[in-house]
Amino acid sequence: MKARRVKGLDPQGGLADQAERIIRVRLEELVAFTPRALDPTEVQSLHDMRIAAKRLRYVLEIFGGLFGPYAEKAGKRAKDLQDLIGEIHDCDVMLPRVHGLISELEHADAVAVRGAAPADAEDLDPAVTAAAPHGPQWRGLHTLATHLAARRALLFERFLLLWTELGREGFVARLDFALGERAGEASEIDR
Amino acid sequence: MAKARDIPGLDGELPFAVAAARTVRVRTAELFEHLDGVLDVGDIERVHDARVATRRLRAVLEIYRECFPREPFRAALRDVKALADALGARRDPDVHLAALEELRAALPEEDGPGLALMSARFRAEQSAGNDELAQALEDVREFHLHERLVHLADAAEAAGTP
Repeated sequence: MKARRVKGLDPQGGLADQAERIIRVRLEELVAFTPRALDPTEVQSLHDMRIAAKRLRYVLEIFGGLFGPYAEKAGKRAKDLQDLIGEIHDCDVMLPRVHGLISELEHADAVAVRGAAPADAEDLDPAVTAAAPHGPQWRGLHTLATHLAARRALLFERFLLLWTELGREGFVARLDFALGERAGEASEIDR
Repeated sequence: MAKARDIPGLDGELPFAVAAARTVRVRTAELFEHLDGVLDVGDIERVHDARVATRRLRAVLEIYRECFPREPFRAALRDVKALADALGARRDPDVHLAALEELRAALPEEDGPGLALMSARFRAEQSAGNDELAQALEDVREFHLHERLVHLADAAEAAGTP
């Protein structure tokens, strides 16, 4: 996902004013992935949301200290979000690989089992199937696929909880407010 | 994972381009420190730290893009991306292998052969990823990426200094 260009940045302009514009765009980009990414079948949206969280995290990592106190905390929250979605992404990458290997072995075993049966057999003797060459590997691969699918589901539930927590915490509104403040001017109340 | 180093002297009134110079210098130094020993498959955290350092550098290049001369910026960004991709080609199988090892330790022995077969696939990818990374590191040296990034920072400093 390509980052949206932040227009009108001035190389001679003050850092905080330019940084504020960048962070606001990155925050908008992140929020724009909801509610789509909250649907567990929207794998690509979730992946893009992770990248948006990463971009927001990195700008806040550099510039958070220029703004009100919540800006630095928001950077940590963006990292929490990025890390959690990253774990989900690892499952999304690995699961098709496991299914791919299972299909590959299934095909190889079918060819081998057919080859082990007499050419003129009227039907396949189940005893021949029992000697499929990859028999010992099946169980582990299916366990792995089950583990990944279940872990994905669990982590996605945690993602929904985290997003709800961020909503309750006022993540967007508080970051928006913090961006209107400048370090040193910020109120102690927000600490 | 290595924590990002603070950028000294960043304040809200600093010209954007001067901040760009300071940030790129720090993030460039971080990246090149983390590249030491990344080809060692026995210590996967090195690749992880280097990959995070490339992401941070790439992020600051993109954030400050208006402060750099266009063509050298584009070429440097392209090369940083290529290095990040090569680090990713090593890191992804590292992550999968570590996850499989953890799972194997927790599951019954009967699951072992299947997990070992999957691990063998990732180990082959890790090896290919390491070859790709070795070539990318060679390119970094051959095409003087470090020096070009320092020049970009110098150009930004000049652009931001009245």
